[in-house]
Amino acid sequence: MKNKINIYLVEYAINAILRQKYKSLFIVTIFTLLTFLLTSVFFITNSIRYELDSTVDALPQIIVQKIKAGRHYDIDVNLVDDILGISGVNDAVARVWGYYYFENARVNFSIVGIDKYEQQYKNSFTNLVKDFDFDDINGTATMLVGSGVKRTMQSNYYKEFFNFIKPDGTLKKVRIAGIFDGDTELESNDMIIMSKDLFREIFNFEESKATDIVVKVANPEEIATVVSKIKLMFPDTRIITNHDLKVSYQNIFDYKSGVFLVLFIVALFTFFIIIYDKSSGLTSEEKREIGILKAVGWTVDDVLKEKLYESFIISFFSYIFGVGLALAYVYIFQAPLISNIFSGYSQLKTSFELPFVFDFQTLFLIFFLSVPIYIAAILIPSWKVATLEADEVIR
Amino acid sequence: MIELKNIRKIYEANKFDRVTALDNINLTVQEGELIVLKGASGSGKSTILSLIAALSKPTSGEVIVDAKQISKLSDNFSSVYRRDNIGFIFQKYNLIPTLSVKDNILLPLVSLNPHAKEVEEKIQSVMKRFHIEHKENAIVRNLSGGEQQRVAIARAYVNNPKIIIADEPTANLDEKLSHHFIDILRELKALNKTIIIATHDPLFFGLDFVDRELEIHKGKIVL
Ligand SMILES: Nc1ncnc2c1ncn2[C@@H]1O[C@H](COP(=O)(O)OP(=O)(O)OP(=O)(O)O)[C@@H](O)[C@H]1O
Ligand SMILES: [Mg+2]
Repeated sequence: MKNKINIYLVEYAINAILRQKYKSLFIVTIFTLLTFLLTSVFFITNSIRYELDSTVDALPQIIVQKIKAGRHYDIDVNLVDDILGISGVNDAVARVWGYYYFENARVNFSIVGIDKYEQQYKNSFTNLVKDFDFDDINGTATMLVGSGVKRTMQSNYYKEFFNFIKPDGTLKKVRIAGIFDGDTELESNDMIIMSKDLFREIFNFEESKATDIVVKVANPEEIATVVSKIKLMFPDTRIITNHDLKVSYQNIFDYKSGVFLVLFIVALFTFFIIIYDKSSGLTSEEKREIGILKAVGWTVDDVLKEKLYESFIISFFSYIFGVGLALAYVYIFQAPLISNIFSGYSQLKTSFELPFVFDFQTLFLIFFLSVPIYIAAILIPSWKVATLEADEVIR
Repeated sequence: MIELKNIRKIYEANKFDRVTALDNINLTVQEGELIVLKGASGSGKSTILSLIAALSKPTSGEVIVDAKQISKLSDNFSSVYRRDNIGFIFQKYNLIPTLSVKDNILLPLVSLNPHAKEVEEKIQSVMKRFHIEHKENAIVRNLSGGEQQRVAIARAYVNNPKIIIADEPTANLDEKLSHHFIDILRELKALNKTIIIATHDPLFFGLDFVDRELEIHKGKIVL
């Protein structure tokens, strides 16, 4: 009997919200905005982290680069055979890849050359060479492009063909044969794939050289051993493992989200001061109302329950509303403004789609950061007034 | 039966600002009795009413109602005591101005969480009794002074309390409405309610149905 929800208190709470139209509207607006911003940032960081993780996971275990005068230099293709001879090595492939700066749009495209007779170092490539023929058809070179590249080219009126400017200034016309879908959006978005021969032609790249060599090790435990063996055999190389890359990617990302977190803690704080100021500093009428309720027989419990319902309804509604807005903003509208700050770790990358990563933990976190704090900000001052002698309050 | 024993009430804002509002008050009010407390402004009338209604506690002395120590009740039990025993018609009515007539009258019933039907019956009957049923859904702020007082009376009566307390009930009423209030008092008296009125309105002096008139002066009963 005592624990039954008192419907009259609930009605009173709803009535109280409606009676204070402007105040309620103000609080709902601020509260919704707050949850919206917080949720958006969490959604975006989660999505990007997810992309990043899958990108890093798809990276080769070991990359071998040639270093000359402290700089990354083209590596001899012959090294592949020597590396294959190291025990524990499953496979080694010479890669040719690079960046092409597209002046009109001021973006960099990543260009990868692949050879269909080679073992591919990426799953997505293996499928590609099965389905697609990179050989020149009727004397025209072809390539596949990522969706971001496609958009960029299209908006610069390259619909079917694209003209690369070669090092000697002459043009190379290449047909855009289709869209390439990689393992992750982040990776494939700014990527162009073509045959190694075409790549060498566009960049005037020597036949006997490659950009780097990727090495596959059967047992991940042996990566360190293989790395030291390669280092011993070829002292003029730099060896990067996917673990190293993961750390550096993570550092950049964590730095950015750290900056954001600080900004948002400041914002959160400000919002709560505003809300606290507007809602908890009880006006004399509100105090009087509590006094009257006590005078006509409400207990402190009744008053607090009513305030609890009132603040819960307001804050929960705002929370749901804010989360809904954030969902729409991030996943339907692709988070204009905020996402750029995060995605630009290569400043010139073309924009990409945020994958939908729904994370209940985040939603819980934001819920517990906002709703109970707001409720407490309402209940504590009400409790203070409700425990005073009624006579003092209504006099 | 209401008993006040050796009541002293001192308001102390700080050490240098003490007001002895009541000084050794002894008073017994029988069930069904109607008494009028008279006295100048600041004499302590409202303070007595507030002690009887457990809206405040005496500095020393005891308030006993139906053999219960009202002055020793915890805050929660004070509320329950008021809800079950007291109908208080405040000087400034103390209605919630932004609520409707009906919602104001509902307030004393809320914490009992009764059935909707029972609530509706009680409210309708009390609105009829005090002639405010035509304003059922009007917002209290928009009512005239007389109407507001009738809402206050209806709210005080809705729980059918044994004790009815009114503080300066005619202070904001014209003569016609004041006479009307006296008629209502007569009716409540006939229902065998214990009634305590604080007033300095001469209209209440020498009424045939008033059992006793007490004069308060500087916190003491002088007559
Ligand atoms: N909360 C309070 N703090 C300090 N002094 C108070 C307080 N309440 C009442 N007093 C003082 O106690 C005395 C008695 O007040 P009370 O309100 O009981 O008088 P009253 O007889 O009802 O006067 P009135 O006819 O003006 O309503 C007054 O001097 C008043 O100023
Ligand atoms: Mg008074």
